[in-house]
Amino acid sequence: MMGSRTIKALVIAATIVALWEAVVRLGLVNQIILAAPSDIALAAAKDGGLFLRAFATTIMEIGAAILIAWTLGIGLGVVVGSLPVLAAATAPVLSSIFAIPLIILYPLLMAWLGIGPLSKIVFGVLSGFFPIALNTIDGVRAIERRYLLFARSVGATRLQTYVRIVFPLALPAMLSGLRIGTGLVVIGVIVTEMLASLGGIGFLISYHRTLFNTGHVYLGMVLALAIAVTVNIGLTWLDRRIGLWRMREQAEG
Amino acid sequence: MPIIEVSKLGKDFSSGRVLVRALADVSFSVEEGRFVTLVGPSGCGKSTLLQILAGLIAATSGEVRIEGERICAPMPNKISMVFQDPTLLPWKTALANVEFPLDLRGVERTARRKRCSALLELVGLNEFANHYPHELSGGMRQRVAIARGLAPDPRLILMDEPFAALDEQTRTRMGHDLLDIWEKTGKTVFFITHSLAEAIYLSDFVLVMSPRPGRIIKTIAIDFPRPRELDIIGSEAFGRIRNRIWHLISESPA
Amino acid sequence: MRAALAGYLTIAIVLLGGWELTARLDLVDADLLPSLSQVCGILWQLLHDPRFIADLGLTASEVAVAFVIAAPLAISSGFLLGERLHLAEAFNPVVHFVLAVPQSIFLPVFILAFGIGFLEKILFGITHAYFVILVNSFAAVRSIPRPLVAAARVFGATRAQIYTRIYLPAMLPLILTGLRLGMVLCIIGVLLAEMYASRRGIGRLIFTWGEGYQVPELLAAIVLVSVLTIAVNEAMRLAELHLGRFYARASAV
Repeated sequence: MMGSRTIKALVIAATIVALWEAVVRLGLVNQIILAAPSDIALAAAKDGGLFLRAFATTIMEIGAAILIAWTLGIGLGVVVGSLPVLAAATAPVLSSIFAIPLIILYPLLMAWLGIGPLSKIVFGVLSGFFPIALNTIDGVRAIERRYLLFARSVGATRLQTYVRIVFPLALPAMLSGLRIGTGLVVIGVIVTEMLASLGGIGFLISYHRTLFNTGHVYLGMVLALAIAVTVNIGLTWLDRRIGLWRMREQAEG
Repeated sequence: MPIIEVSKLGKDFSSGRVLVRALADVSFSVEEGRFVTLVGPSGCGKSTLLQILAGLIAATSGEVRIEGERICAPMPNKISMVFQDPTLLPWKTALANVEFPLDLRGVERTARRKRCSALLELVGLNEFANHYPHELSGGMRQRVAIARGLAPDPRLILMDEPFAALDEQTRTRMGHDLLDIWEKTGKTVFFITHSLAEAIYLSDFVLVMSPRPGRIIKTIAIDFPRPRELDIIGSEAFGRIRNRIWHLISESPA
Repeated sequence: MRAALAGYLTIAIVLLGGWELTARLDLVDADLLPSLSQVCGILWQLLHDPRFIADLGLTASEVAVAFVIAAPLAISSGFLLGERLHLAEAFNPVVHFVLAVPQSIFLPVFILAFGIGFLEKILFGITHAYFVILVNSFAAVRSIPRPLVAAARVFGATRAQIYTRIYLPAMLPLILTGLRLGMVLCIIGVLLAEMYASRRGIGRLIFTWGEGYQVPELLAAIVLVSVLTIAVNEAMRLAELHLGRFYARASAV
């Protein structure tokens, strides 16, 4: 049995789709710029298999990049954050580098690594790494001394202190970094696929754009957006699970 | 053998080119099972002394022995500390917080749970075992911290102004309950406070410390019978001791 | 502050020195990583090449025009939404959607609609800058302490006085941050659009050099763009710091 909220949402969605179809069919918007839902469905029927394979490639690249970016970002972030001198020295540098449009590095990666999945994964890692590392560093640095004093007084080993006290305390900050960084990983991979690639959703989007197959282009975009939105939802869920910590801001303060 | 023996303890801090002498020639001893309080003006080095006793920082000169052993690192099995800020782990329940020291040590779960539930009951919080720190009041959090301090069954409990952040009524009640817990568990307590009334009410002995560089001016024995009721605070004898300590502190050369 | 400077210098020396050393010691194939000195030489030549300067100027002008259009639009929208919260509630889902979704994915649609000329680049840049500045301006308006405004009215302040003496100083820090982030995103958007499909511009050059394995020129351009974007970012950050601080003091309660 569906709740009334779900029904309401579905009705709104159906209305939007219908309006969308109408707007294109009635010629209100050029069909080359905006594909009608029926055009998208047609493209899916025609080349669904190809798109699915590309989808799989993109997911694989994104997955690998997320894994590496998380590990490197958190790992380095914890290490640098724990060493105050290092943190003070590197944090400003890292945040300045953030201003560089990373996309200009992609042609370099193309020259070095070719246009296969590897260059996409590396670029994805680069995109996500900085916000994750920076936020983790901030999170670790912000840990109040009294927790570390407590850890020592209660006889925690170095490893125990890191895993059971430092890590959970830094988690809220880490999570903001992970949210931003993971989003950037997804964008990074898809955009570089669009620029130059052998496969993947981005590649198909670009390819069909040059042929003015707007239906295919929009199909690709829908799939790409689906990935982005799913990742976002996943991260929100993670955020909420760990949200317990947030309450401490109001309490332990 | 006294549980704490401090002889000619000195501590210097160097910040840049300036040398700060925090403690100079501190000597005293504490017998087992006693409740001893250290009072002194702000900045006299009370917290520094406590941290040395806990093994968190090293002395510059002199000797500190806990149960005859020289202390150079924290001894979590023998010594527990309760800080002014309860410093509970926000993502753990009250019970989990109390269990934490034992958890670190790898104590088996059922034994751990049993012991720590009993401790929470001792401090009057057994109904709140599954509550999180942010759901508890300041006084309750401090009780959890005390229970946590008792978890490893230490010989000595060091307390650094644990009730300073609480309002007066809660503070008084906590003091009374702490005495109750102390009498039931028989631990040695070394307590630091600014409040002379608190010190006199709680302790067997009050160590009076001078302003920086801190040294023990006098040890005052408190002879009120135990268990102590809160109404002794208003008595004449209490007032006299209090005045005495106050004069000792204010007349001591800075 | 000093630690930060030391950090910058150390990292710069380590990276640049390492680069030069790696090339000199032939640790890496010179085709993959030409030496720093070689790249600097090429950069010097490029800076004297009128075509290169023209491309650089074109990109810069695209960024500037897009920013100059987006900023006032976004600030005023943010202001309006901040003052009329019912409007804000209506637009909230739209803004949230846009921010959750990687805007870069829509580049092919921009090209289908507007071609690959000056206009398309500017429009793309505008959309990138607009939303960030909007969100920050909205937050800026919301951050104004209402009791202060009420008190000012009681004392008979005119509308103009309230706007200049209270609104402006209170809003300035967040607006400046928004502008800086907007600029960063605008630059990214314009460069991406150029790299993707364009006839002229630095982005186009970079991509072409990447495709053609012309690594020295590519590195030279990357270095140049990095330096320029960092400079712009730091300049705006300084303005943020000083103007923000000045106005904060001027309006201090």
